[in-house]
Amino acid sequence: MYSLKKTAAALSAALALGVLPVAGAQAAGTLTVAITQDAGSWDPIDTFVTWWGSVGSNIYDGLTMRGADMKLQPALATSWEFLDNNARIRFKLREGVKFHDGEPFDANAVKFTFDRLLGQEGAKGPQRSNYTSIDKVEVVDAHTVDFFMKRPDPVLLTKLAGYGAMIVPPKYIQEKGDAYFNEHPVGTGPFKFVDYKPKVSLTLARNDDYWGGKPKLDQVVYRFIAEPATQVAELQAGRVDIATVIPLNLVATIDKSANAHVVSTSGPVTIVVRFDTAHGITAKPEVRRALTMAVDRDAIIKQLLMGKAKPIASFQGDLSFGYDPALKPFPFNPAEAKKLLAAAGVKPGESIQLDVRGSDSQFREVAQAMAAYMQAVGVKVTIKPYETPVLINDIIPQGKTGAMWQNQWGGWTYDYDNTAYLMYHTGEKWNPYDKDAKLDAMLESQRNTYDVEERRKTLRAVAAYVADQALDLPMYALDTVVGVNKRVKDADIPGDIRFRFVNTSVE
Amino acid sequence: MIGFIVKRVLQAVFVVLAVTLLVSYAVRLTGDPAVMLSQGAGSVTEQDLQNIRAGLGLDRPFAVQYLSYMGGLLHGDFGRSFAGGTSVGRLIGDALPATLMLAFVSLALSILISVPLGIRAAVHKGKASDQAIRILSLVGLSFPNFWLALMLVLLLSITFPLLPPSGWDGPISLVMPALTMAIILSATNVRLVRTTMLETLSAQYIMVARSKGLKERVVLYKHALRNCAIPLITYMGLQFGGLIGGIVVIEKVFNWPGMGTLAFDAIASRDYPVLQGAVTVLALVIVVVNLLVDIAYGIVDPRIRTR
Repeated sequence: MYSLKKTAAALSAALALGVLPVAGAQAAGTLTVAITQDAGSWDPIDTFVTWWGSVGSNIYDGLTMRGADMKLQPALATSWEFLDNNARIRFKLREGVKFHDGEPFDANAVKFTFDRLLGQEGAKGPQRSNYTSIDKVEVVDAHTVDFFMKRPDPVLLTKLAGYGAMIVPPKYIQEKGDAYFNEHPVGTGPFKFVDYKPKVSLTLARNDDYWGGKPKLDQVVYRFIAEPATQVAELQAGRVDIATVIPLNLVATIDKSANAHVVSTSGPVTIVVRFDTAHGITAKPEVRRALTMAVDRDAIIKQLLMGKAKPIASFQGDLSFGYDPALKPFPFNPAEAKKLLAAAGVKPGESIQLDVRGSDSQFREVAQAMAAYMQAVGVKVTIKPYETPVLINDIIPQGKTGAMWQNQWGGWTYDYDNTAYLMYHTGEKWNPYDKDAKLDAMLESQRNTYDVEERRKTLRAVAAYVADQALDLPMYALDTVVGVNKRVKDADIPGDIRFRFVNTSVE
Repeated sequence: MIGFIVKRVLQAVFVVLAVTLLVSYAVRLTGDPAVMLSQGAGSVTEQDLQNIRAGLGLDRPFAVQYLSYMGGLLHGDFGRSFAGGTSVGRLIGDALPATLMLAFVSLALSILISVPLGIRAAVHKGKASDQAIRILSLVGLSFPNFWLALMLVLLLSITFPLLPPSGWDGPISLVMPALTMAIILSATNVRLVRTTMLETLSAQYIMVARSKGLKERVVLYKHALRNCAIPLITYMGLQFGGLIGGIVVIEKVFNWPGMGTLAFDAIASRDYPVLQGAVTVLALVIVVVNLLVDIAYGIVDPRIRTR
């Protein structure tokens, strides 16, 4: 057939042409990073998309910063001291720093940043709520500012390292306006803005004048790729250097490939199963303890999560402030679980419901395994998937969950306070069932002191109390798993993926 | 004829209006964007949420929001994305050409594949090649497009690194997504071509043409194919809506910077203005294509106008 041959010829010509552009896709000196989502605005106060941090931490600096080891260190502030009985914090600012447009960084820029964040412009966005403990910021001299506090905020120094607290250029924003700034960001960070194609890519170039030393890369290109399988395909094809979302069942495939490998590190995301502590059989603490003992979490981590997670005893990972290595998870003990259930008067065959996020295929497998383990001790579990926003917005806050529900939290401050307060304090959105005055008092007391040791003690006491009451079934802390091309050198992969590519290079 | 066209255009305008109303209302039932935006933002108070809602204009009654949206549309203003404030018009302006290009190339490729195969099957009815083509089309029908796309990426980007697995790197990036769509479309189209061709080949004028001693190729491609073309084009026009729906999925896999990706991301983040804009424009495109098909049909076949 003549036309069939012609079609085939046209197709093979097209395929042959394809060989040229694919080879040499990686330019020397350019690092290409695939991230899941376009935050839509590069203004630090507009968004709470985690992926913003992956980009923003290369453009902007805060007064403090976290290293790849998650330790807090000085950044645009070189030192700080607490004054007036902790009601005032005085920051000494780094001298000789310039914004990407040449505007000098000084105390005025810090005041402008926080006036904007706490004022009208900030009220329109989600970031402000993190910084409402600050009353006002005053300029002392060109390189000194005072933060006047409304109330103590022990997590403030951590918050200053990211997101809304990133320092922005006053003159540039006043002249160009907020809408322009959204799409043409200017900061003091190691890379400066070059080009932004909404939903497609964002390109940054090296800031030769960076105060922390000249970066080695010429360019960093971020590509927005939502589908994890597509990110992996791009990594395998050698067209992205770092893929930030790796389906765990593809880890082995990547490690076997010639040009890429998998890097994993402790991440901020923890997963627990919460209980309805007000109704049904899970109202009894001994039933909740029994269900916790019924599940072999080590097996789940090894078999279903390819070992890329760590068991937890409280709703936090090992990097979190308040983590207690001495607090051990309830051991896997089905025999003991059966005894506890019988003593609590639960008859074999009792049926309960577990609500999960429907889009989370990984946890669906975990939930099925949990159901099997619970079935083995005589409790039948039905798994009910919800669309994630429906579960979060409607089902949980209104107390319409089943006896158990999936809860996932990625506290970016790496401080148990953030998680514990929202999860267990009476009246919080995430806590539809518990009212516990003792727990409330503990949670409140650690919010009112800067005393690190006292806070650590209190937060550990909270974790132990929650574990003893079995308010939730702690499952695991997920590792941050990233695919990296072998040509990339010295890429620090922070668990919260807020990259800073100052020392990174590509061959 | 004029009356017929006016009637069809009015119907189309009504459909688009209904779509805007339905979509605007439906997206507001799916959850609070303020909560989505502030997820993980630490201790968000009800006051913070109210501030965010007011900033987005969501504190006003639905009727006011809808009317202000429609008022903007009349001036060609689709509003601004909740996530960052990019103009929705700009986002659609970038995405629509990418989607339309993919749709038309897929359709063209599918014609190139299905017409010769369908004719061959019809001519060799009941023989081995007919059986083979029919089985092949059944296999093609049974592929989920998502899976087929991933298999093609595995084959043509990883095992044999010939084509870019995703994104837009110039026309070469069209090949794989268009091929995926074309294979899916061809599975149905081959069967359609085969059936219409069989009907046509039994018509008297084909016998006349053959008895005149014309070459078989001329009979098939000059006489028979032309008469098959009308039902084919009509069918493909109607297929367009489904085609756009399929492209949404394909775009997702190939990270194609089109309307599907735009709408998908907007759903995930409850970005009402982007979702409203994207669905309205897609509805408009489908309605216009169907309108053109209707009108063309009316011109070709006068009996249709009176229905």
